[in-house]
Amino acid sequence: MYEYTAISRPQPDCTRLKVVVADDDAVQRAYISLILKKLGYETHEARDGAEALELVRAISAKILVCDLDMPGLDGYDLARTIRAEPGDGYVHILMVTGQDQRQQRELALEAGVDDFMGKPVDTATLTARVRSADRLLRHEELLLQRSKVLAKAKEQIEDDLRAAADAQRRLLPPAHQVVEGCRFHAAFQPSNILSGDMFGYYRICESYTAFYAIDVAGHGVHASLMSVALGHLLTAEHFRAHSFGADGRPDPAALVRSLSERFYRDDGTEYFTMFCGMIEHGSDLLHFCQAGYPSPYILTRDRACRQVGTGGFPVALLDGVPFETDVTPFAEAEFLVLCSDGAMEAECPAGEAFGEARVEAALAGSAPAPHTIPGNLVSALEAWREGRALDDDLTVLVCERTPNQ
Amino acid sequence: MIKTRLHDEYGICVVNPAVERLTAANATAFKEEVLALIDQKQDKLVIDLADVTFLDSSGIGAMVGLLKRLGNRGEIVVCSLSSGVQQMFKITRMDRVFSSYSDVNAAIAAIKERV
Repeated sequence: MYEYTAISRPQPDCTRLKVVVADDDAVQRAYISLILKKLGYETHEARDGAEALELVRAISAKILVCDLDMPGLDGYDLARTIRAEPGDGYVHILMVTGQDQRQQRELALEAGVDDFMGKPVDTATLTARVRSADRLLRHEELLLQRSKVLAKAKEQIEDDLRAAADAQRRLLPPAHQVVEGCRFHAAFQPSNILSGDMFGYYRICESYTAFYAIDVAGHGVHASLMSVALGHLLTAEHFRAHSFGADGRPDPAALVRSLSERFYRDDGTEYFTMFCGMIEHGSDLLHFCQAGYPSPYILTRDRACRQVGTGGFPVALLDGVPFETDVTPFAEAEFLVLCSDGAMEAECPAGEAFGEARVEAALAGSAPAPHTIPGNLVSALEAWREGRALDDDLTVLVCERTPNQ
Repeated sequence: MIKTRLHDEYGICVVNPAVERLTAANATAFKEEVLALIDQKQDKLVIDLADVTFLDSSGIGAMVGLLKRLGNRGEIVVCSLSSGVQQMFKITRMDRVFSSYSDVNAAIAAIKERV
């Protein structure tokens, strides 16, 4: 659990604030110092600008009360030097000037001075000025502590998200794998740390190999939780139990329908698109159910390319809508490419979408070597985006039929 | 965000999302604003998508959310779909869920006929 309570109530720093009093007039210096000590501050005296600068640096003073006219480093130079210092802490600079020195005060403000007091310094004015600086400094300290707590919480959350992303990746099959008469190749790129995409493939039985790809609507934690739930649910066993009709024939739409019934809620907003395919090896057929997922391509190594499917309702979006199983020839020399819409929709910096034509060109270019398709498409998108991360999750899944292996 | 225009005599409300991209980034805000109209008893809605060049799955989700809230108390149609949006509607079968018209006038005329 995160220590969120610490964000609302950081402990203010109650130690005494350190004040440097810089004045070449010993009497003036001692007088100001005495008033500040009575107010409860820890004071340090400096006889000139250079000494004041050293002290401010050495003890990390928070307030500097300085005279404008000092030998060597004067008030302007001192303020400019302190403002130019790197570091987190702010030094509040209170300058003592002659009465009615308007022009000097303007120059001092430009140099980085925060507030002024006219000579002679009186107790009431000094008290009011220092207390005001004190309030600002304590407020700054509080904000600094809050931002530290927030940064820590953010780091913890991101660590957790990365751990979740690892768990999500472990659910995915390897990037290249041979499964019962097929060779699969894949790429998976979350747009953020976590992805709403999921895919898988299995040998169901001797005659069938199945695969699916899912894209949960939206991004981030919400979508990824659902994608992980689906990744756990959709096993080879689940396919065997749900993707065959009563007649024993493959019916991936039956599986999709069961998912839709399981995940649909009247008041829900979560849904996903899916492509679910079953390859019947003996008859060179692909039985598939397209549920709102972009149409995949079937290609040959000599670059012949056709799209499969005309669309279908997404899963768990609407109650009682029909899902259909379609069939298409899927010959031994062919391979299928599934691409989530993250590919088509990826925009270049000028705002133009990558589009179907470029996806098709990238696929055709790599067609003689299907195993290079996922990597090449990811590279083409990176080049198109000029290195910027994708806006949407990306999945590329290639299923190559390799009957003789 | 949204711009609306009322055609009082028939109680038709034309809603323009006033964005080029209806996506995860703004779909929820769009939905909430139109839901507020539905809660104010607007029950004949034309969503004018003329300015929308791109609509993602969250955009589809928002449109369906409106449809669910309206139920059978009224109707919601779309018009002026760009080719990209049309393609998205086709692939997700939303072309069977929402009646689609070439422009606002055609959409209004069609609703008037049914009143």
